[in-house]
Amino acid sequence: MRTALTILVLAALASTLPACSGGEKSSNTLRVAADTEPAALDPHLVTGFTEHRLLTSMFEGLTTLNQKTLAVEPGAAESWTVSDDGLVYTFKINPKAKWSDGTPLTAKDFVYGWRRHLSLNLASEYSYMLWCIKNAEAYNKGQLTDFDEVGAKALDDATLEVTLAYPAPYFLSMQIHYSWFPVLQSNIEAFGKIDDRNSKWTRAGNMVSNGPFKLVEWNPNQIIRVERNEHYWDAANVKLDAIEFYPMQNLLTEERSFQSGKVHFIETLLATKIETYRKEKPEVLRIEPFIGTYFYRFNTTRPPLDDPRVRRALAMAIDRQSICDSVMYGAASPAVALTPPELAGYTAKARIDFNVEEARRFLAEAGYPNGQGLRPIEILFNDSEDHERIAEAIQDMWKLNLNVEVTTNKQEWKVYLNTMNALGYDVVRSAWIADYLDPMNYMECFVTGGGNNRTGWSSKPYDDLVEQARYCVDPVQRYELLQQAEAILLEEAPIAPIYTYKQKLLVSPEVQGYDINPIGYLNYRSFSLASATP
Amino acid sequence: MGETKEPAHVVEHGTSLWKDAWRRLRRNHLAVFGMAMLTLMILLVIVGPWLSPYSYETQDRALGAAAPSASHWFGTDTLGRDLFTRILYGGRISLMVGFAATAVSLTIGVLYGAVAGFARGRADAVMMRVVDILYTMPFTVIVIILTVYMGKSIVLLFMAIGAVEWLTMARIVRGQVVSLREKEFIEAAEVMGLSRRRIILRHLIPNALGPIIVYTTLTIPAVMLLEAFVSFLGMGVQAPMSSWGVLIHDGANTMEEYPWMLIFPSIALSLTLFSLNFLGDGLRDALDPRMAKE
Repeated sequence: MRTALTILVLAALASTLPACSGGEKSSNTLRVAADTEPAALDPHLVTGFTEHRLLTSMFEGLTTLNQKTLAVEPGAAESWTVSDDGLVYTFKINPKAKWSDGTPLTAKDFVYGWRRHLSLNLASEYSYMLWCIKNAEAYNKGQLTDFDEVGAKALDDATLEVTLAYPAPYFLSMQIHYSWFPVLQSNIEAFGKIDDRNSKWTRAGNMVSNGPFKLVEWNPNQIIRVERNEHYWDAANVKLDAIEFYPMQNLLTEERSFQSGKVHFIETLLATKIETYRKEKPEVLRIEPFIGTYFYRFNTTRPPLDDPRVRRALAMAIDRQSICDSVMYGAASPAVALTPPELAGYTAKARIDFNVEEARRFLAEAGYPNGQGLRPIEILFNDSEDHERIAEAIQDMWKLNLNVEVTTNKQEWKVYLNTMNALGYDVVRSAWIADYLDPMNYMECFVTGGGNNRTGWSSKPYDDLVEQARYCVDPVQRYELLQQAEAILLEEAPIAPIYTYKQKLLVSPEVQGYDINPIGYLNYRSFSLASATP
Repeated sequence: MGETKEPAHVVEHGTSLWKDAWRRLRRNHLAVFGMAMLTLMILLVIVGPWLSPYSYETQDRALGAAAPSASHWFGTDTLGRDLFTRILYGGRISLMVGFAATAVSLTIGVLYGAVAGFARGRADAVMMRVVDILYTMPFTVIVIILTVYMGKSIVLLFMAIGAVEWLTMARIVRGQVVSLREKEFIEAAEVMGLSRRRIILRHLIPNALGPIIVYTTLTIPAVMLLEAFVSFLGMGVQAPMSSWGVLIHDGANTMEEYPWMLIFPSIALSLTLFSLNFLGDGLRDALDPRMAKE
């Protein structure tokens, strides 16, 4: 009887052993707060920033950036050459690069991924990112049906030749964006057609990826767990064993999760908490510059917002300084243009300033003296961060300065995205974080019919200027064209810039290799945990 | 048996039921406290906002969240709005939702229950099964769907909450009516040829009044809690107007930094809920017919 018991006890102990080693392993797991449950994990269908975080861990483009200096470094491509006119890029794919199922990564996978992203029926909002490739725009719009005419060719398994429509000086640094990520043809087509928006290939267990980590668990609203991809070409230098992303309902939960040690860092601290951390735990608080603009979009298809004078009046009646100082506790700086200042040497000359007198004049000119006859305007925002407090402050400013009645409407992230895309709003809170360091990234959002336009706004002169800037080789003249385009944008005001972001992070001292840079780029390859190093 | 020998006493007893109830209620200190507190609260939210020098929506962003002081008794919120004034205005909404939604549930529940109990037989069975089915629906989900579907108007919020709150009332009234229906005075009324409508409205409902009143006082706090909950989820009243639920929600977000934003609205809501519950308990005891024999 006693021996039987001993055996049982021993067996029980033995069964806990693997669990123990698993426990040790998990100590080398980085735990991250994701701002929301991702809308999807398909690199060619998502548009959000949280999704960017997740996908960068699972996929890798041709290049990566240095976490500290933001210099372009080899990614899936080990080297590249550029033709003298800046139009033809030839990439050599790293021969060691493999997919997470062990299949070698080839130039064809990139061509396939881009073909997929540009296919008409996939109808991706972000497909215009690829339009710098020759004929990509025509193919994307269905004017061209033969992908062979598009300037992306796999010369052989290891050589990828990309012919651009215009010299895009940001082409290499753009490759970190998910819209350029490759996908594995056999993986996509095992779960549906190339342009199937509802394919199940991104489910855990289905997805094959080429990044430093691979998806092992996706439990919606609970956890997304990625583990080290042993087939990754640089796997030896990946220090973490796994990353766990916890989608958070709101920033309050994020802050509490950080406090309780559930996550190692959070990227957005609620503004109301800043003062407390400044006083009590300055060592974990980091307020850093961030190339991103917080702005309101106006629905230009809905009266009275179809009148540029009304939009401009509203945009001018926002006291940005007060929002930055009081509502955001100094963790933001007033934005007077769409592009953040000093973006790759570009600072917009045109501005929308806070000017109540002029705002009133514009509103009166539009036929609404002192706001009379103007219907109530609704501000839509997603349910997180300080959006509600900002909306209430702006509600107060518009009421006080222009006598305009304002209602507010709060929606969950995915619903909010749908409403915005369907132009089902009056005014919607928006933000744009630079995908790559060039003002073009901001300006091309608002061309007619652009996937990220989302305002219904259309201006021929603006489209022309952006188009000219695309093809412009001379950097000075190129910026001049963008300046003119931005002046039109601010004059017609389909948007109202509010503030330039600052990163508001809480980072546990345990996290190492996390150099904060102004585009908020994270390369999880370089991360490690203090507790995990022997 | 003794009562039949002294018919005069029976008559007197009948008229003094309400007096007895009132006497018993006055002896219940908690119930009296509840009544006084409630009266004070109602007076405050009606008159208070006119007396306050601040408006519920005026922001003083430069001031921001300030601790309670002589100029702002309950402090200010993060946008510099006077919390005392906002609590008074929020109280108007919360109390209005409480009373209006209860009135809706009272009307539907009492009529439905009385008709079902009076009809008996198959009609009664069908009507009560409908109530059973509605009972099984997750009540919060219904309210959320209704508010999402019908938009975010306060009136609709009253209706939505009232419309799901009537079920228990319907059951209680039906139970009363089923037992009253067999009593001689209803038979007498039927023999006299009174219409059904008149029998229900004039004879059945007044006799079931005790339990109805008691349950009503218990419904009001339940409804107010529900409004607080719906607002907490962000689906209730719209900014810059607020209710106690919204204020508590905002306060909970900043309770470490600005505790007064949570404490004062919570006190206001708790005091009101306690008062209503005390009053409800007191009324239940006071109106219990068996206590009359003491």
